[in-house]
Amino acid sequence: MTSRAARRVAALIALCAVGLVSPLSAQTGADPSKVLRHVFPAAETGFDPAASQDLYSGTIIQMLFETLLTYDYLARPAKLVPLTAEALPEVSDNGKTYTVRVKKGIYFIDDAAFKGRKRELTAADYAYALKRLIDPKLRSPWAWLVEGKIIGLDALAEAAKKTGRFDYDAPVEGLELPDRYTLRIRLKDTDYNLPYILAHEPTSAVAREVIETYRDDAGRAMSNPVGTGSYMLKQWVRSSKIVLDANPGFRGFVWDFHSDDPADQPLIAQMKGKRMPQVGRIEVSIIEEDQARLLAFQNGELDLMDLGGPLAPNVLDGGKLKPEFVKKGIQLSRIVDPATSYVYWNMQDPIVGGFSKDKIALRRAMAMAYNVQDEINVVRNGQAIALEYPIPPGVVGHDPNYRSPVTYDPALANKLLDYFGYRKGADGWRNLPDGKPFTIRYASRPDSLGRQLDELWKKAFDSIGVRMDVQKDKFPELLKLERQCKLMMRTASWIADYPDADNFMQLLYGKNIGQNNNGCAKIPEYDRLYEQSIRMPPSPERDRIYHDMARIIEVYAPWRLDTATYRNMLVQPRIQGYRKHPILHAEWAYVDIAKPPGSVSATPGNRSAPD
Amino acid sequence: MGGYIVRRLWQMLPTMLGVILLVFFLFNWVGGDPAYVLAGKISNQEQIDNIRRQLGVDQPYVVQLWIFIKQVVTADFGASWSTNERVSHILMTRLGPSLTVVVPLVIIATIISIGLALAVAYVRGSLTDRAVMIVCTIGLSISILVYIIVFQYVFAYKLGWFPVQGWGDSFFENLFVYASLPILIGLVVSIAPELRLYRTFVLDEINQDYVRTARAKGVSENRLMWIHVLRNASIPIITNLMAGIPSLLLGSFLIERFFSIPGIGREVILAVERSDFPVIKAITVYVAFATIATNLLADLTYKAVDPRVQLK
Repeated sequence: MTSRAARRVAALIALCAVGLVSPLSAQTGADPSKVLRHVFPAAETGFDPAASQDLYSGTIIQMLFETLLTYDYLARPAKLVPLTAEALPEVSDNGKTYTVRVKKGIYFIDDAAFKGRKRELTAADYAYALKRLIDPKLRSPWAWLVEGKIIGLDALAEAAKKTGRFDYDAPVEGLELPDRYTLRIRLKDTDYNLPYILAHEPTSAVAREVIETYRDDAGRAMSNPVGTGSYMLKQWVRSSKIVLDANPGFRGFVWDFHSDDPADQPLIAQMKGKRMPQVGRIEVSIIEEDQARLLAFQNGELDLMDLGGPLAPNVLDGGKLKPEFVKKGIQLSRIVDPATSYVYWNMQDPIVGGFSKDKIALRRAMAMAYNVQDEINVVRNGQAIALEYPIPPGVVGHDPNYRSPVTYDPALANKLLDYFGYRKGADGWRNLPDGKPFTIRYASRPDSLGRQLDELWKKAFDSIGVRMDVQKDKFPELLKLERQCKLMMRTASWIADYPDADNFMQLLYGKNIGQNNNGCAKIPEYDRLYEQSIRMPPSPERDRIYHDMARIIEVYAPWRLDTATYRNMLVQPRIQGYRKHPILHAEWAYVDIAKPPGSVSATPGNRSAPD
Repeated sequence: MGGYIVRRLWQMLPTMLGVILLVFFLFNWVGGDPAYVLAGKISNQEQIDNIRRQLGVDQPYVVQLWIFIKQVVTADFGASWSTNERVSHILMTRLGPSLTVVVPLVIIATIISIGLALAVAYVRGSLTDRAVMIVCTIGLSISILVYIIVFQYVFAYKLGWFPVQGWGDSFFENLFVYASLPILIGLVVSIAPELRLYRTFVLDEINQDYVRTARAKGVSENRLMWIHVLRNASIPIITNLMAGIPSLLLGSFLIERFFSIPGIGREVILAVERSDFPVIKAITVYVAFATIATNLLADLTYKAVDPRVQLK
């Protein structure tokens, strides 16, 4: 054979090979040879959208299932866009009625539960998913998303408690299906946050026949996820490895996102027009230990990794990668999490609670004695910012110009305590204004973070001459005591379920005592403003109300605002188009993997025309 | 022999009952109420009560204890509170990876420890003996955590001889690729104490009259050490070995976590973190049972090794 003939044969073989590994579907650009390797620092629990509550299960669920709405990949602050919906919901009746239409021609992945038929996604699947959230037997941790909101749904749950069976066939006034593709949700009260709920993964569409085929005694289908998402579960070794393959029936989309941020422009130029998803397989390893995770990343065994606070000094110098990582081409995507940590005082406690001037002074003094910057430097390894406002960055309603008057000032704190009669006794510790000794009990978890915070708070209390004891308990016990208003003070945290101020401001609403109002605060003025705010769409008027509420927090000091942490994502050089999203758990469907130079592209023509 | 086994099995009952009581009261005392975590970020008392009812933790302690005893008797511990996975499935799937590490580790460590123990005992008091003992003492003084961190960094990351972590689908891939470094660390950690202990057992035998007699009769040194001395030293060695196996299965949790091996030890830590009582109690009961069973097996092995031993 001549060399020319040999080359022709080789070219033919190469073409055949390209044909064999061509995109899984004409509609997506997914290439099986593009494998993205990610890591979770903790184990998942299962993949039932209504039943799983941990972040890692939620991340996988976002890939397997689809909500009606999602978030624009690059828009900041996060902006809702349709996913399986044709458009954003039509809002009527003063924010009490939402009408949303599902796109036609979306199909679930094939499964035995469908008995060989193609199963199209319909509006009824979303209605079913919403009903599941409140089924008492299922004991969904997401019941609060719909509880007390949708007309008729609570009555159905009440009936289920009596009969022991949730009637999914019973009509619900607030969940209307005018046609196969239209869902009309009618609410008891005005709620402008419902669209966010419809973008939250617990409301993802599930097929009733799948749940009924695979459900366990509690009605959960944790191990058989059958969705319409961009990926499908290929392999699952619990707590060890999760492999997702691109869904060959997925409709795909064209990468066409916009941003005004100059830092995003190279990414946009790299990705614009590509048919997505590009990644054919995602392999997720569960690696709990920090060192193992970082070494695996440095060894090239992982493509993406959430750095986490403890590892930051090994990789970052301030907010930037160390030169050795820059030299290797490692990318850093860094955001402030839409989350807040705060210290609360129990407003019903006889020592720190109440609204008398001396109690308010005591809480303010404690707030001023604590050095948040020390916490950022020592405990958070510099990977956090001090919060000035109860609504953290990245959340609608956040005001970057707001400045809190609560600062670190132990001298002023001492003066305040002196003024309100907290005099020091012979033992050097302060007593209550009535002369009785007192001790502050700071509750924390028996882990390293808890111990570090104990030490910082001890230092703060020593600086104002107040005795402090540490109350150690396991997390479930702390939650229990907290809900019973039996803890005196604790550092708590909250991460956004949806990027709206309401998700944070409700933490001090009086009616949420026993739920997530950890400090059991009931401040009539605050409650009145909160009730006003929930009936308003995001607007400057609503922001003004939030300003007033923030001032109330400063005046009565039920909280000391603490920090919001950075999320540092390390990205290997071969990953293209990655940018950490503040709300989406995973960005896998939006990225591409560069092939080594000289390799044959398996996705010819993947710069296809828009939809 | 049969009567002895039946008697020993019968004696297991009070021991197992003790374990059941201990696990039950310890968990209820320090375990915390899982309902508050399972209920999610925002939940009301009614939802928490509903969860407690479904988990059965609202029942009186006597009823809960009776359910636990029934679970032990039927070997059906229900499903995990966190994941709803059947506990039996959890144990079945996690046992394989643990055994892939533990079985070769025990075999290799025992062979090396016994061989070295015989060798250094034979040259007791020599420079070699003292050097080996010093190395063992140093080895013993270092925490397993240090070995893991250093070996993972040097052999996996810097030298690239092993993967940093991971677990595959095939037994041979796991054994020869992913389990190699964990086994190596296990060997370094376990050989030092075993070698010191076994050396003591061998030294006890070397000074016996029968050794002198055998030597006087012209028995070769190799035969003397490997047959006569080893057989008599093997009873405490078997005791030590058998007693260590169940705890090794659980005690390997650090190795399993650092190397992402989906084994039993890692599962125990996960269950404790999640207050997942069904998993904790199943593993505890099975480990207790394995401890009792390996003790019985050790007693039976004594008889096989030394026919003079009478099982009563």
